[in-house]
Amino acid sequence: MKHRIALTIGPASFRIGAAWRAPVARLAALYHDYPAPPGGIADFTVRLDPVRPWRRYIRPSIHITGDHGLADAAPMALAHGLLAAEMGMNLQMALGWRRHLLLHAACVEKDGRALLMTGESGSGKSTLAAMLGERGWRFMGDEFALLDPATGAVHAFPRLISLKNSAIAAMEAQVADAARFGPLLRGTAKGDIRHLRPRADAIARMDRPATPALLLFPRYGQPVDIRPVDPGECFMRLTQASTNYTALGEAGFDCLSRFVQTIPAQAIDFPDGNSALALVDDLWNALR
Amino acid sequence: MRGAMTSLPHYRAIPATDLVIRPLADITLLYHRPSGQTHMVASPVPEILAALGAHPLDSHAIHARLATCYDLGDPDEARAAIATHLAEMAALGLIRAA
Repeated sequence: MKHRIALTIGPASFRIGAAWRAPVARLAALYHDYPAPPGGIADFTVRLDPVRPWRRYIRPSIHITGDHGLADAAPMALAHGLLAAEMGMNLQMALGWRRHLLLHAACVEKDGRALLMTGESGSGKSTLAAMLGERGWRFMGDEFALLDPATGAVHAFPRLISLKNSAIAAMEAQVADAARFGPLLRGTAKGDIRHLRPRADAIARMDRPATPALLLFPRYGQPVDIRPVDPGECFMRLTQASTNYTALGEAGFDCLSRFVQTIPAQAIDFPDGNSALALVDDLWNALR
Repeated sequence: MRGAMTSLPHYRAIPATDLVIRPLADITLLYHRPSGQTHMVASPVPEILAALGAHPLDSHAIHARLATCYDLGDPDEARAAIATHLAEMAALGLIRAA
């Protein structure tokens, strides 16, 4: 690979290579606080390849490959190279990570205890985690929460926060440091996307695990509502939200069944960010 | 009548080490070690599992055991329901046809 960068995100490390300078330069700028892989050896390799060699020069388009690949990982326009690198890292984690039970969830921490939020894309979990990360919580990740089968602790995977559509302006209004934002990517498969680098303290403390304390199933765009979610429903939804539950076998079963038996869970509906923050405050304070 | 009774399929438990049983508040989780599959089951499946041992039993015998602890309603309907569950559980490998 002509251009490359290596970085560590939580317990995982990546080597990212591309035929073009631009996506790697953008990654280097946005990930400059993240350490290099320990011993210089990365867990995963992500390659952003030209779809055809000559297309590097005419109408450039990127194809994501790596240690683990999906046949239908769609080629993307070069302008979205940063997004392709992010998707490539997520793909490697989703398909290749075995050290933890991987939950598709956002996660924030306060006083050593973690709040996990899981839901489909568009549920608001990413935006909510980003907002909490600017309000005294440590941002641990907006895509994957990593549960340790041995201890039950949750480990951080605080990659860049992927802000979508209306969340972009909302976070631009709350984060004064413009250098923490990536370029605005218009017209992706998920609409407009802009990446936000987590606060420096979230990156500096990314190797510290936390004890799970509360699980939320957020749903944006609905009137305010709170509903307890019983352990059976939690288990079912979390197996669906895990990309490696089956691969971990009995260790995954033990980890997830202990999690749902001990962690209270609520489904929360909210019409806007401020309502969501108020709901989270109430539910978190009620734990004590 | 006697012939019909003896033709009922009999089942026995699989080795206890093959199955991890974890009751939650509302349902029970089963991890089946030989297949690596997770099952989420509700009553009466956990109760049937608990009633079965190494000795082969049919749906009538299991009904008799469960009826000492639970109110199962109409006996014929309960026996038929238990027979259906037994066949499904055997197909999943959670119990074994004797």
